[in-house]
Amino acid sequence: MKTNRIIIFLFLSLLILMPLDFFLIFRVAPTERVMGDVQRIFYLHISLAMAAFLSLTVVFISSIIFLWKKDLKWDTAASVSAEIGVLFATLVLITGSLWARPIWNVWWTWDPRLLTVLILWFIYIGYFLLRGGIADRFRKAQYSAVIGIIGYVDIPVVRYATKWWKSIHPLLTKQGGGLDPVMKKVMFFSMATFFVLTVFLFLFRFRLARMEERLLILKKRMED
Amino acid sequence: MKFMHDAVSILRKDILLEIRGKESLSLMLFLSLLFLVIFNFALDIDKENVSLLASGILWVIFSFTGILGMGRTSMSERDEEAYLSIVFSPVSAESFYAGKVLSNLLFLLLMEAFTLVFFAVLFDFEKIIGMLPQLLPVLLLGTLGFALVGTLFSFLATASRYGEVLLPFLYLPVVVPVILGGVSSMDIILNGKPGGPGRWLQIMAVFDMLYLSISLLLFRYIIED
Amino acid sequence: MNIIELRGVGKQYHSKTALSGIDMSIGEGDSVTVFGPNGAGKTTLLKIISGLMQATRGKTFYNNKVYSESDIKKEVFYLGHKTALYNALTVQENMNFICRLFSLDHRGKSIENALRDHGLWERRMDPVNELSQGMKKRLALAKGFITNPEVFILDEPFTGLDLGWRSSVLSKIKNIRKRGKSVVISTHLVEEGYALADRVAFLHKGKLLFIKKKEEAEIGEIYSLFDSLGENIR
Ligand SMILES: Nc1ncnc2c1ncn2[C@@H]1O[C@H](COP(=O)(O)OP(=O)(O)O)[C@@H](O)[C@H]1O
Ligand SMILES: [Mg+2]
Repeated sequence: MKTNRIIIFLFLSLLILMPLDFFLIFRVAPTERVMGDVQRIFYLHISLAMAAFLSLTVVFISSIIFLWKKDLKWDTAASVSAEIGVLFATLVLITGSLWARPIWNVWWTWDPRLLTVLILWFIYIGYFLLRGGIADRFRKAQYSAVIGIIGYVDIPVVRYATKWWKSIHPLLTKQGGGLDPVMKKVMFFSMATFFVLTVFLFLFRFRLARMEERLLILKKRMED
Repeated sequence: MKFMHDAVSILRKDILLEIRGKESLSLMLFLSLLFLVIFNFALDIDKENVSLLASGILWVIFSFTGILGMGRTSMSERDEEAYLSIVFSPVSAESFYAGKVLSNLLFLLLMEAFTLVFFAVLFDFEKIIGMLPQLLPVLLLGTLGFALVGTLFSFLATASRYGEVLLPFLYLPVVVPVILGGVSSMDIILNGKPGGPGRWLQIMAVFDMLYLSISLLLFRYIIED
Repeated sequence: MNIIELRGVGKQYHSKTALSGIDMSIGEGDSVTVFGPNGAGKTTLLKIISGLMQATRGKTFYNNKVYSESDIKKEVFYLGHKTALYNALTVQENMNFICRLFSLDHRGKSIENALRDHGLWERRMDPVNELSQGMKKRLALAKGFITNPEVFILDEPFTGLDLGWRSSVLSKIKNIRKRGKSVVISTHLVEEGYALADRVAFLHKGKLLFIKKKEEAEIGEIYSLFDSLGENIR
């Protein structure tokens, strides 16, 4: 019941926060001198990346706790978090691509950060492919926890390797200096909003998944 | 030492299994040859560009062929649940993993040696054999990375309904740093590019150490039912 | 002294409850036979007892403490539905490998004796995939005889064997018992299962209908339970 209240509270806050965030991004933040209005995507892009990273961190931690406690609720937490992480990562890739088009006149840039997100995206798609292929609930949990841990540990290595690779093959570099104070504030607000969104999505999906599971068990009991 | 003794027992068994069943290594050699032929058509390799293309072609072959081979060796454990004879024995999960890594490492290295020789022969590029001493650290560190991740993932994937088909999806993204390192450092060595392969070797060594320690911790969870 | 004890053990597959509220203990030299129709949960129970599978409820104790798998798995011989043999290797090579895993001498007489006992000595140079199903089963059992663990857990050890080998396997398992080992088997063969047991248990829809001393359970009781469940086992 308490979680329900939190979910409703978060939802109501988002009804205010999200429009406000978009208002700040598109109306209040000053137009960037070199890149123009397109630069506004940047606020969303970074916030989404933060949200994706946060979700995958939850996958990582829940996976470890699952292997330790063997309680399936941690697996549910990991898998709904992975869903949210993949969703945000997809949006990061899309906004990255929207950004690259007008600025560099390409649909895709092999920027190390974007590349890291793309590789993560592949890893967590694999996570769901694996889950789909294992019928036994416990085994599914156990194996995907292994992927949840391995995939997360890969992030810094991929990040570093792609950065080093890029430093040898320079293609395009991000221009534009630091953000001005208003921009910084908008960025901060946007990240906070997406943080709340992530927490909300997580709690909502987690609650739903737990209910689904309970329902399935009840249904099976009625049949037997 | 018991740990190594157990790991080597598993390695010996896998070598014997390969001699008897010819399931993994021979398949890899065949596939690697096939890849070389296809790359020849696809890229129109000649004396001018072979040196530039070599490292990319070779590491694509190493990674794809390798993952197929490792999938096969895991299937031979899953068949008849043969691996349960190791699970129900004094052999620890860690030495089990170490043994499988050793045998995968051995088969992958043999496949790579074969591929290098055929590459040199088919594309008239003897230079690559001459440079083997410089290339050896790259091959060893990269292949170890492949074996460490591949052993864990192939055992995991073969338990799923999709079996080996799933393997590349899980494996390839994770080993991207190894592929990047392998391709780049081989390229630097073959074409005498500035800077040397030092940093890449470091990255691969860090990758190997990271995955060695994590996989040793995690392998026990994928041999439980 | 209990080697293995289950308290309130349950197992939930995705939505299916395969086991619930299982209390049972296996003492030193104890022999328990678990009867039950198909789908009763026998395999699940035996996997949990052996430490291969984790229960989703309850606790499993090994020598009165919650066991870690490393404690138990080397003391258990587990034979499931599959034979745990390497198909491409020969009979002899499979046995050699087992000896290496247990750091036993594989040049001595023990392998020969085990193979002769199970009627496989003449076939020792043949790869396992050329053996019949019954021979594979016997080879799988023969492995347990050279490793000599404390607990034998045999999931339907008689299936796939013809009548002759069935009685031979039966006498082998009796030998194991004489050596003071604990034996847990599952079967729906009432005659054989009853002959082996100190205690008999009956599993149905994941619940133990009873587990009691053999003296307290008539063989007819088990037959009629199977009959009442509509299982044709005679
Ligand atoms: N991996 C699994 N996933 C889902 N259900 C399973 C799984 N294994 C067994 N079951 C179900 O659990 C029940 C008990 O199975 P099992 O232990 O194999 O019974 P038995 O060995 O007595 O035939 C059966 O209804 C079976 O369908
Ligand atoms: Mg069964």
